[in-house]
Amino acid sequence: MNQLQAKVTKIQGTQGLKIVTFHCANTSLKMMSLDLQENIHDKTVVQLTCKPTSIAIAKNFSGELSYANQLNAVILSLELGELLCSIQLQFTTFTLESIITADSASRLRLAVGDEVTALIKASDLSIAKVIS
Amino acid sequence: MINIKINKTLHGANGDMNLDVVFDIKEGDFVALSGKSGSGKTTLLRILAGLEESNAVISVGDTIWQDKNTNLAVQKRSIGFAFQDYALFDNMTIEKNLLFVANDKKLAEKLLNITELTELKERYPSRLSGGQKQRVSIARALMKRPKILLLDEPLSALDSTMRTKLQSEILTLHKEFQTTTIMVSHDPSEMYRLANRVIILENGKIINDGSPKKVLLKTKGSQKFSFEGELLEIKKVDVIFIAIVAIGQQLVEIVISQDEVKNLQVGDRVNVSTKAFHPIIN
Repeated sequence: MNQLQAKVTKIQGTQGLKIVTFHCANTSLKMMSLDLQENIHDKTVVQLTCKPTSIAIAKNFSGELSYANQLNAVILSLELGELLCSIQLQFTTFTLESIITADSASRLRLAVGDEVTALIKASDLSIAKVIS
Repeated sequence: MINIKINKTLHGANGDMNLDVVFDIKEGDFVALSGKSGSGKTTLLRILAGLEESNAVISVGDTIWQDKNTNLAVQKRSIGFAFQDYALFDNMTIEKNLLFVANDKKLAEKLLNITELTELKERYPSRLSGGQKQRVSIARALMKRPKILLLDEPLSALDSTMRTKLQSEILTLHKEFQTTTIMVSHDPSEMYRLANRVIILENGKIINDGSPKKVLLKTKGSQKFSFEGELLEIKKVDVIFIAIVAIGQQLVEIVISQDEVKNLQVGDRVNVSTKAFHPIIN
């Protein structure tokens, strides 16, 4: 499971809907959520998670994307299947897995050592557990 | 306010258990009481009704029903009781079943009307369906205009359509008669629809108490869509894995990665969850 340790820096809310901002390593992350557990406040440290299939990859990208979470990462390894490709990414001290189609992986000519951007929608990011 | 304090040792199938609860109920509340079988739910209702001996302290408004010096008899407690098995008088017509409790024809008429039994009032219980019998049982429980209505899994023997219909009738009666209702139930949708408070008992103790949403909504972290299930199989497909999980009466498939597979074993009890943003309702 993808795991990122992050600290809550801001909680914006309206009628049970929340946007939570986190600080994770050198990056700001955002999560869309309904009501939060009662023990989650500003400065709470949590473990964030995201399914590998919800992480998209951009390479040499210029332009604007709506993805609230854009993580600069390096490709550690690639496992190319018949239809899908599993990519291990190094993001600061964390390792993340992204699963994309094999076609996309070859279209981007992804290789070990590539600097890429891992893209996660705010609605795909979730809190796995509260750390402190 | 209704104040309840009960301490009683029960001799159950799994050895002795101490039913030990202290709680207050606001008058007019609809409280759902839930928990595994043997957790003390029915005993709690029976103690409230005075059907079971106990060292309880029970007061309803300004009246003490039970304490060290007082122990009101069943018929002196302002209680209506309906059970899962109806417990009707088979030798009396429906109307007589109601009038036997209190000889108030006008009230009986009103109750028969709300529960849509007016046309069947001359029938005997043996000629009624399960849903109709339970309606009679609930209507009869209200014949004394009780302060507290106790319902012990009244709808669990009925099919889901009949259950939904009776749920709305129970709610109508609860409001119309301004009773305080305590209902034992195992059905989360029923508790959510009817109750404004849910109390969960386990081994004779209250382990959860709050609004239906707070008590019943299964969440895990920020995941609002969460189910317990049993892991039946893990299949490798391409670079991913597909887990088959039995949840209730259904099987579901979940895509997982190599990394997630490491901590899983077929037969495990697992929690399957996702964010509230992903599921699609049809």
